Amino acid sequence: MLQYRLEKRAEPSRIMLYAAPVLAVVLAMIIGATIFAAIGYDGIAAVREIFLTPLTNSYKWQDLAIKAAPLIIIGVGLAVCYRANVWNIGAEGQYVVGGVFATGVALATYGMSGWWILPLMALAGAVGGMAYAAIPAFLRTRLGVNEILTSLMLTYASVQLVYYLVRAPWKDPMGMGFPQTRLFSEAARLPTLIPGTIVHVGVPIAIVVAIIGWFVMKRSLMGFQVRVVGAAPQAARYGGFSHTRTIWLALLISGGLAGFAGMLEVSGPFQRLVPGFPTNYGYTAIIAAFLGRLNPIGVIFASLVLAITFVGGELAQTTIGLPNAASGIFQALILFLLLAADLLVRYRVRSVSTSPRGATT
Amino acid sequence: MSMDLLIAICMTVIGAATPILLAATGELVVERSGVLNLGVEGMMLIGAVTGFIVMFTTGNPWLAVFVAAIAGLLSSLIFAVLTLSLSANQTATGLALTIFGTGFSALAGQNYSAQPVELFRSIFPPELVGHQVLRLVFGHSPLVYFSLLMVVACWWFLNRSRAGMILRAVGENDHSAHSLGYSVIGVRYAAVAFGGAMAGIAGAAFPLLLTPQWAERMTAGGGWIAVALVVFASWRPFRLLAGAYLFGLVMTMELYSKAGGGPLSAIPAELWAAMPYLATILVLVLISMRRSGSTSAPACLGKPFIPSS
Repeated sequence: MLQYRLEKRAEPSRIMLYAAPVLAVVLAMIIGATIFAAIGYDGIAAVREIFLTPLTNSYKWQDLAIKAAPLIIIGVGLAVCYRANVWNIGAEGQYVVGGVFATGVALATYGMSGWWILPLMALAGAVGGMAYAAIPAFLRTRLGVNEILTSLMLTYASVQLVYYLVRAPWKDPMGMGFPQTRLFSEAARLPTLIPGTIVHVGVPIAIVVAIIGWFVMKRSLMGFQVRVVGAAPQAARYGGFSHTRTIWLALLISGGLAGFAGMLEVSGPFQRLVPGFPTNYGYTAIIAAFLGRLNPIGVIFASLVLAITFVGGELAQTTIGLPNAASGIFQALILFLLLAADLLVRYRVRSVSTSPRGATT
Repeated sequence: MSMDLLIAICMTVIGAATPILLAATGELVVERSGVLNLGVEGMMLIGAVTGFIVMFTTGNPWLAVFVAAIAGLLSSLIFAVLTLSLSANQTATGLALTIFGTGFSALAGQNYSAQPVELFRSIFPPELVGHQVLRLVFGHSPLVYFSLLMVVACWWFLNRSRAGMILRAVGENDHSAHSLGYSVIGVRYAAVAFGGAMAGIAGAAFPLLLTPQWAERMTAGGGWIAVALVVFASWRPFRLLAGAYLFGLVMTMELYSKAGGGPLSAIPAELWAAMPYLATILVLVLISMRRSGSTSAPACLGKPFIPSS
């Protein structure tokens, strides 16, 4: 019936493992261009503006860096978590609570100065994210409640927490009624790395986080434990690795990193807590983790691609009038196509001239 | 509490519960066939935006619901092809479908925000619809009766029909079902398509039944609550009713707290807004404490089927 047949590979193809994300991005461009052409936009221009202009326009590089940084930090945590087969999809909530905890420190130390304020905020952010991730960890390990649903439900609740705080207890008294906190004092704002740009210290930190993450996953016993429990739970049990401990570890690492990213974001680009603080980095980082093949170094490249679509999406809005949602569509297409392309990692496509034995289902 | 107020509350509860009930009924059938589709939220958003646009342009609610069902079904086929034909990871693909649905609906609905439409109202004679007491029976949107009908139909299908038995067999033991000559993949395609159509209708219920307009992400996590509801119901259709109306009640309390006055407004509005999500977690906790040990989930839930022939 078919001209082509799928044949299971004896070993997953390493070439395809790394080629699949590239293939997915290229195919997403082609399909995306077709979709946007079909609904009356200039499809080629849409792809050019979204994927190319942010790279050719050197003014946009700093935007790329600060958009990629939180994606890398959250994505590395999620890569570890998904490796352990633990499905934390509430990184957005942990990111938000991390930002809230950091804001708490910034407001409590308002008017003070000192080098210790930012590290304290970073600690508070990580603790906040961990605490929020501890809820699904506790419910999963103690009661067997699915962590997908609990972590996601907590994300919706965290957004309401931000709305409440900026409307009532933390509202800026001089803010003329705007629902936002006061602007952080100097000591609670993230310093910029290169004078005259918006690139803050979170950018190099993100790279360091990814390198540490790679090292831990590849070289340490903890990384080995996470990989074994995720890939072969039975073998892990015989090997004496605790499943419960791994779930806790996976959720605390991903929650802590998401919370830390929240701190960087609130003290860097925002410099105050606003209702618009939940910016979906936590959701996009899920795509970054998958596109980076659950490998911390891969997450760096994946986050850059996704940052390009963010920055390009904003550009395309002003230059060719593409709607705001366009970058989201491209991101979803990339993930769909990646999942489809993964078939090529496990199978090879063989063309069959005639099908003598083709009657199998 | 006056009789009038009590009836008004019941009407609101039933209305608020209906979209979740519709989506959960579809997802229940999908999961009984052994597939976990986490794209419900995305399919609902696609249904909501298409339902709204058809209603806005034609003014025909029946057509709006029908087109929303088709849109939901088509979007579920993306999931089906990836997970069933290409055996991609179901959790990741479901998430991707939700992300896609969010983006797609925002794109399709960008020129329609803050435009009003008519609600899909009861089709019974106005004397009954407007009657002080009888409106509790006759005053609902056709979507409400449809949701109840589907719960009963779903129960009958799963427990009394031959096709439903095959579907359950596929969900409990795919390899045995395959050996007996049933098409595991075929049955699962049909189940996923049904779930997609129901999610599409559930999405359309948001603009047609609750708030007569389009807003980005207007389903606000309802699709995820529907997924949780299936767990709460232990994969049994009639138990969905209890769960859905419980959520309807929580959401109604939120609405009444907004209206101001009374003991409900003592709690901050944001906490009320977070209540459906916190209630979902609470319900999941309670159900897992009661179940202690043996789960009633379909044995093959979430596992890809690769025929060993």
